Amino acid sequence: MIAMSSENKYEVIFFPHGRRDFFPPGTTLMHAAEKLGVDISTVCGGKGTCGKCKVRIDEGYESLGPIKPAETKHLTKDMIDQHYRLACLVKIKDRPVKVYVPEISRVGKQRLQTEGLEVPVTPKPMVRKYFLKLPVPTLHDMRADEERVLDALADQYGLDKNKLRIDYDVIVKDYLPIKLREANWEVTAVVWNDKVMAIEPGNTTDRCFGFACDIGSTKLAGFLMDLNQGKVVAIGSRMNPQIPMGEDVLSRISYVLFGGEEAQDKLQRAVVGGINEIIDECCEKAGVKHNEIYEMTFVGNVAMQMFFLKFWPKHVAYSPYPPVVRRGIYVPTAKLGLKGHPYSQAYYLPVFGGFVGADQLAVIMATRMLERDEITMDLDIGTNTEIAVGNRELVTCDSCASGPAFEGMEIKYGMRASTGAIEKVTIDPSSLELNYRTIEDAPAVGICGSALIDIPAELLKAGIIDNKGKFVEKMAKQTERLRKSKEGMWEYVIAWAKESGSGIDIVVTQGDLRELQKAKAAMHTGAELMLRYRGLTEKDISKFWLAGAFGNYIDPENARTIGMYPELPTEKYVFVGNAAGTGARMALISTDMREYAEEISRRVVYYELAVDKDFQNEYARSQFIPYQDLNRYPLTRELLYRLGRIDENNKWIYPE
Amino acid sequence: MSQREDILKRMADGVVVGDEAAVTKAAQEWAELVKAGKEQAYIGIVDGLAAGMKIVGEKYECKEYFLPEVLLSADAMYAGLNVLLPLLPKTERGAAGKIVIGVVEGDIHDIGKNIVKAMLTAAGYEVYDMGRDVPTKDFVSKAKETEAHVVALSTMMSPTLLSMKAVEEELRKEGLKDKTKTIIGGGTVTDEFRGRIGADAYGKDAVEAVDKVKQLIDTVMKAVEAMRKAEEKK
Repeated sequence: MIAMSSENKYEVIFFPHGRRDFFPPGTTLMHAAEKLGVDISTVCGGKGTCGKCKVRIDEGYESLGPIKPAETKHLTKDMIDQHYRLACLVKIKDRPVKVYVPEISRVGKQRLQTEGLEVPVTPKPMVRKYFLKLPVPTLHDMRADEERVLDALADQYGLDKNKLRIDYDVIVKDYLPIKLREANWEVTAVVWNDKVMAIEPGNTTDRCFGFACDIGSTKLAGFLMDLNQGKVVAIGSRMNPQIPMGEDVLSRISYVLFGGEEAQDKLQRAVVGGINEIIDECCEKAGVKHNEIYEMTFVGNVAMQMFFLKFWPKHVAYSPYPPVVRRGIYVPTAKLGLKGHPYSQAYYLPVFGGFVGADQLAVIMATRMLERDEITMDLDIGTNTEIAVGNRELVTCDSCASGPAFEGMEIKYGMRASTGAIEKVTIDPSSLELNYRTIEDAPAVGICGSALIDIPAELLKAGIIDNKGKFVEKMAKQTERLRKSKEGMWEYVIAWAKESGSGIDIVVTQGDLRELQKAKAAMHTGAELMLRYRGLTEKDISKFWLAGAFGNYIDPENARTIGMYPELPTEKYVFVGNAAGTGARMALISTDMREYAEEISRRVVYYELAVDKDFQNEYARSQFIPYQDLNRYPLTRELLYRLGRIDENNKWIYPE
Repeated sequence: MSQREDILKRMADGVVVGDEAAVTKAAQEWAELVKAGKEQAYIGIVDGLAAGMKIVGEKYECKEYFLPEVLLSADAMYAGLNVLLPLLPKTERGAAGKIVIGVVEGDIHDIGKNIVKAMLTAAGYEVYDMGRDVPTKDFVSKAKETEAHVVALSTMMSPTLLSMKAVEEELRKEGLKDKTKTIIGGGTVTDEFRGRIGADAYGKDAVEAVDKVKQLIDTVMKAVEAMRKAEEKK
């Protein structure tokens, strides 16, 4: 029995967690769960749009008021009958409530790609430490404290005294004169770009750290590095805490435009909060103190740059999309609220035009596209997909709004890559037998990005969908997985209720396929128009770099089969993983790399897809799976022909 | 099936499957009837071409169709319109209603706007297409100049919703809202947003947009008529 009330508050209990407390009327179930530390999955941050926070009300259902239209969008009739609601939309009223959080809505362990291409870089950090044994002042040596330090740096290490200076804060706030004397004139000078940014007692030269961070719209990846050796000492990652304020960069920009300065502050504090958590975690793991982090570097797309540095973001979202600052920029970490050495600097790598930011620059940096004779191409897959192509003569880049479908958004049973997510699907083209694998082999609760690429590819090869991405209804006679839902839409069962972690069938709907088609068409259009603009075809590409958060987990052949990018033989593919993180690390440990980044940003030419006259037509052609003109996909064409899906004229063969 | 029903059906079916040749041929047959004084061009457009396009919109909405099919159908419909529009008496076009349409300032995505425009044209309205990334003041001046009944605004992006709000406010400030109603639509637009900025209608897709425009125009025309009568009484 659950308690009725206490001072006009009503008890909410969450199962299977068993956590409970009293809450005032008007509290949403999501809010109560947060207070109690019960993790309920959410992507939209409580706006009722993502439908991920399904919970079952086991007691007190009637008190919660009628089901809202936003809920019926995400709940099947069965679920409604079983008293399912969306936790973010339902408020407690005048009765206690017992809530069951099904497996499907629990937040599992998140799998995020943080590793990236390791590119050997000789350490040449902007921060250096010098141990100094200073001569004690006497009546015959009355040099000022400041001069004494600078002279020692010049005498003992050959630094140019005329260029050097000691930071005002070091002299004033850190009491330089007292510090030198307390340390018996044996100190370590921390020099950042001709500026002594700190004086530490004794010899601390072996403790010199920096922090590199990739600010993705969906996730943050941070790397604590030993600057002397150029090595990573700890890695951490988090979801970007800005997600509740907008799933993609554009909705976050809108959040700022409609919410003003307050909203802008909130976004900035959110991302800095997430980064600080990673810093804390890395420091703890590696036994490093915050004030041993002397510099930080950041990469991210233009929107991330703007939110992080608090640039007014309107105009980058309005045609013709100019950024506010293109070049790399230094900002004191303290000004941004970051937890490092109080006088350390943050360096945000340069960006390009449009939405193409420092993350794409980092890919070009890590792959050395701009140094090669042969033409290479890269695709950095994400909510915003970025594409670059070229060689030492010219590299051009563009970006396309591919949307978050491959991250599980807008997909009925889509989810991020965490425990219980179906990550791999195969369908035997002749027996139509389906196999799938989930993350950590847990019962299936949803489908994540890598499987969302497999599914259309496997369905196509099995002839369950045609090259228009439409379910071939006649195939329902051959497989019971294909069926018409109660709502009248065709769907295909990936995992049956009896084997799923949620007790319901996990399906892919016709609507899901349409979303995936739109997303992949945007990517393909970006790649195709980029090539055409350069007068190139896929045959000219000698290497194809695949970057992005889930890059390493995807099946590149299936991605090609659905036409995410032009058809290239698989031996040309190189996975570069989180290249953005690699770029941030390279820039952190080497000033040469920073100069190189500036050079890339100057030399790489941005191409705005929207001005391409063929955009609409190409986008339409790219919606076919893999593409309208199959002759552009000879390998896939051959495969489909062999499987008996098409005739010699590339026409789809439907079953009798 | 009578000959006229057969032609109308062939026009509609041709649009649905995106068969330009079939639609052109059927439209030409209808044109012959119009020239012989037996039929009206307007009926051919509304009950043939637009009826087909409405089915296309519904098929897209329920995910049966995907974008390339919609575009093919739009092309087929335009082929039919090219035949029938010139036969429409000048007065008839403006009389049905005048619409200023465009993608708001800052946005250059116009696929959706073009589809709505095609359907509005098919429905017999006089449509002034302002294109994309249209400055707020241009919408206002065009609405004034043409005495448009409806201003239809589209945007796919969310930041540019701000421009939609600006047009709404500007029309209000200029005192045009009695005679000119607004309808908004596009990827990121919702009915909730419509309520927030005080626009008169929201079309969640092209089919709904056309229905709503029709209602708006009826309202405006009635209001104008009432005003005219009130004037007369004085």
